[in-house]
Amino acid sequence: MSTDLLPDSLRQAISDDLVPVKPLPPAWMRTLWAVAVAAIGLAVVITAFKLTLRPDMAQLPMWLSWGCTALQLVVGVVLVGMALREAVPGNGVPTGAVTLAVATGVLMQILVGIATWMHSPGMSLLEGHGLRAGVTCATHDAALALPALAATLWLVFRALPLRPSIAGLLGGTGAAVTADAVTHILCPMSDLRHVLLWHTGMIFGLMVVGWVAGKLWERHRFGKG
Amino acid sequence: MGVDRQAEEKRLIAFMIGYQKGSMDDFEGLYAALKQPLLRYLWTFVRNATVAEDLLQETFLQIHRARQTYTPPRPVRPWIYAITRHVALMHLRSGRRRKEMLADDQLPEVPVPPEMEKLADRATLHQLLSELPSHSQEVLMLHHLLGMSFLEVGQILGIAAGTAKVRSHRALKALRERLAERGGGDA
Repeated sequence: MSTDLLPDSLRQAISDDLVPVKPLPPAWMRTLWAVAVAAIGLAVVITAFKLTLRPDMAQLPMWLSWGCTALQLVVGVVLVGMALREAVPGNGVPTGAVTLAVATGVLMQILVGIATWMHSPGMSLLEGHGLRAGVTCATHDAALALPALAATLWLVFRALPLRPSIAGLLGGTGAAVTADAVTHILCPMSDLRHVLLWHTGMIFGLMVVGWVAGKLWERHRFGKG
Repeated sequence: MGVDRQAEEKRLIAFMIGYQKGSMDDFEGLYAALKQPLLRYLWTFVRNATVAEDLLQETFLQIHRARQTYTPPRPVRPWIYAITRHVALMHLRSGRRRKEMLADDQLPEVPVPPEMEKLADRATLHQLLSELPSHSQEVLMLHHLLGMSFLEVGQILGIAAGTAKVRSHRALKALRERLAERGGGDA
């Protein structure tokens, strides 16, 4: 049986690099930081692309316009918070909660899209313009999500996520849902095909981006694929 | 027991705070306090005392690299055990796992709580534990042998506290059944 004395090699390795460190702020505080970056990013992107409220905004009931946007924002922030919590050892989010949160984010976007399609008298898809409208919306979605995604992933990988792909998936979904909450009140298209193909598709795309970023970080940090 | 656990946790938190401020003495205190239970936990994965010793060093190096991710005054043990578990799993996945098994007298010592001791003697307990599936061993080790709450076990394993409780219950049941098969327990 060995003693409790520190082995010399370990003592040397530690003492060579024993600089004081500042503890990571709690997850809620890092979430607020990510939200602040995301809010600034959203404002910049909306201004840069000269985006305006959808033309049928007045015809939509309040719960479906601002109400659903607020709800989606809350879900997006919760997802970002879960990603940042997952990034700290011993603070992992149970797999069931991860599944539930991600599914809630995606399903909410789909249900909001369906409800909007049912209520909106607004612009439907013009024949032959589906691809152009889709690419435009996907670009806006990606640009709106990018600040939140970058801030969240930076904060996640600055900690020590032991399941980085899960943390990345949560961060990617959170950023996507947050961006979609804003797109919902900006995109003039109420056609369900457009919403499901381009907007829901973008959510899945950003989920994959987060997951892949986690895998790549894991390979870089721990040398595994 | 509860008061002792609280005092021990406060001591670990004080070590971590000092260590984050750059104190080598506090790192040594942390190492001395956690070496044996961590070795026992690592043994659950690798079943080899030498490999467990190597992984213990790797664990403390990982702890050192990630020391800023501990946020006082959160409990220290879930943070450290989660890193330890990750080091062990990475070792197993790397294909460097050695197949040698070790005799009971090579096992790192940890205090066995009364609720486990009453099931069988220490040697039998170690033997039976080693025959259980690894996920059952792990939850029994964390809760019954290392005295962690189900909340802490859940935080380490990334599962809900309720799930940890169910796993522990099933593992203990399996342990009792194996003991009954041997005819050596009071189960």
